[in-house]
Amino acid sequence: MAHTVASFDEDLRQISQLIRDMGDLAGSMVGASTKALLNSDNALAQRVVSDDAIMDARQRELDDRAITLIAKRQPMADDLRSVVGAIRMAGDLERIGDLAKNIAKRVGSVGVSAAPRDLSHSIDSMAQLVLIQVQGVIEEYAAGDATALAKLRNDDERIDVKYTSVFRELLTYMMEDPRNITACTHLLFCAKNLERIGDHVTNIAENAYYVLTGTQLPANRPKQDETAMSAPAA
Amino acid sequence: MKPMLSTDLNVAETAVEKAKIEVKNLNFYYGQSKALKDINLSLPERSVTAFIGPSGCGKSTLLRVLNRIYELYPKQSAEGQVLLDGKNILDRSQDLNLLRTKIGMVFQKPTPFPMSIYENIAFGVRLYEKISKAEMDNRVEQALKRAALWNEVKDKLNASGQSLSGGQQQRLCIARTVAVKPEVILLDEPASALDPLSTAKIEELIDELQADYTIVIVTHNMQQAARVSRQTAFMYLGELVEFDRTEKIFTSPREKRTQDYITGRFG
Repeated sequence: MAHTVASFDEDLRQISQLIRDMGDLAGSMVGASTKALLNSDNALAQRVVSDDAIMDARQRELDDRAITLIAKRQPMADDLRSVVGAIRMAGDLERIGDLAKNIAKRVGSVGVSAAPRDLSHSIDSMAQLVLIQVQGVIEEYAAGDATALAKLRNDDERIDVKYTSVFRELLTYMMEDPRNITACTHLLFCAKNLERIGDHVTNIAENAYYVLTGTQLPANRPKQDETAMSAPAA
Repeated sequence: MKPMLSTDLNVAETAVEKAKIEVKNLNFYYGQSKALKDINLSLPERSVTAFIGPSGCGKSTLLRVLNRIYELYPKQSAEGQVLLDGKNILDRSQDLNLLRTKIGMVFQKPTPFPMSIYENIAFGVRLYEKISKAEMDNRVEQALKRAALWNEVKDKLNASGQSLSGGQQQRLCIARTVAVKPEVILLDEPASALDPLSTAKIEELIDELQADYTIVIVTHNMQQAARVSRQTAFMYLGELVEFDRTEKIFTSPREKRTQDYITGRFG
């Protein structure tokens, strides 16, 4: 049902549009940064770096609009949840942008020759998992599908498992040939960044779930025991 | 309709608190027209409960049933039970004067009597008690202090109550109510005619008074209900739609009608 004051609906619509824009931008930055990494594409990497400035500007605009809306309209119930939720989701999206930028900045350092080509596949498949999550979370939020958001949050587990296997793979390459160490260390940071992006998506899913339902998901999602695999500390 | 109650811990705590007032199967009529429909709710002791809802929803009517002030008007009648400490106040044998000393009321428009500040308070006390001048002086002072008005009027107790500002007049009315030592205070839109500073003083006062009194407030100002109350009842078309902890009502109400109302989607 629409608000009696029509401009209130317009204010809320603009905030949710900004979240969608930031979500789209986050998805494209994550996709482009890993593509740049795998193809050693410096120009594409540079585009990701400049996209981050747009992301930051969007977040500031969203914060301004949200704070102004709270001051002007004193939102209640689902309106209040959606505005506070938007502020928090924007924070996570902005961090995703930072992490994608960090991957992009490593493209030059990893270089063309040193990167063990076999690794491309592992990083690529990890990046695909992350990308599906980033794109999915905003889509499901826009569609108002709380059940899908709860599932998506649990799917982060797959990224964590993938990260552990990439970590071990990189360790093996470094042990095999010390000349791989520089490139592999950069790739390890990239993998870690992808894993962190997954965590931010988890936060967004939790926030979106709360906005939609008014209840919090349980604090701990089901987790496999990875410690037995000598996993890196998170 | 039965009010919904959340099952989480905070409400469980509320539930074990002693109910000061219990409303059971209450129906109310203005002539033939039914203004309250099967209301059931329980107001915990020493706590603030807010009634909210659009004009005509029955919130003021419900408040007026709690001290039977509606009986001043013809053709108005209530059925069901309103238990004050377990005793049905709607019972014919209920002494109305006694009831109104136990349940005080403050109205939207400040209603000081056309007499001095001192007499505004002493007048009511004298109706029920015979006390010495010294005791009365003390009672007046305590009531004015309780209503956070003492410092502003202590040097002009003989000035007319009507010479005070609107906000001061309203606090004088609260002092008058407090002076007869009630157990329950009913507030019908107590701050709607006041400026923000006076409103803040009234709200601060409500916050302090709840340590000793059971308070029920009717308000159109939802932020005010959210600020001052611990429980909120949302009423619509004579029904109690939802009754729950205030933070629950204003962050994630259970009923769509509650949500639509508090977010400004109808009314």
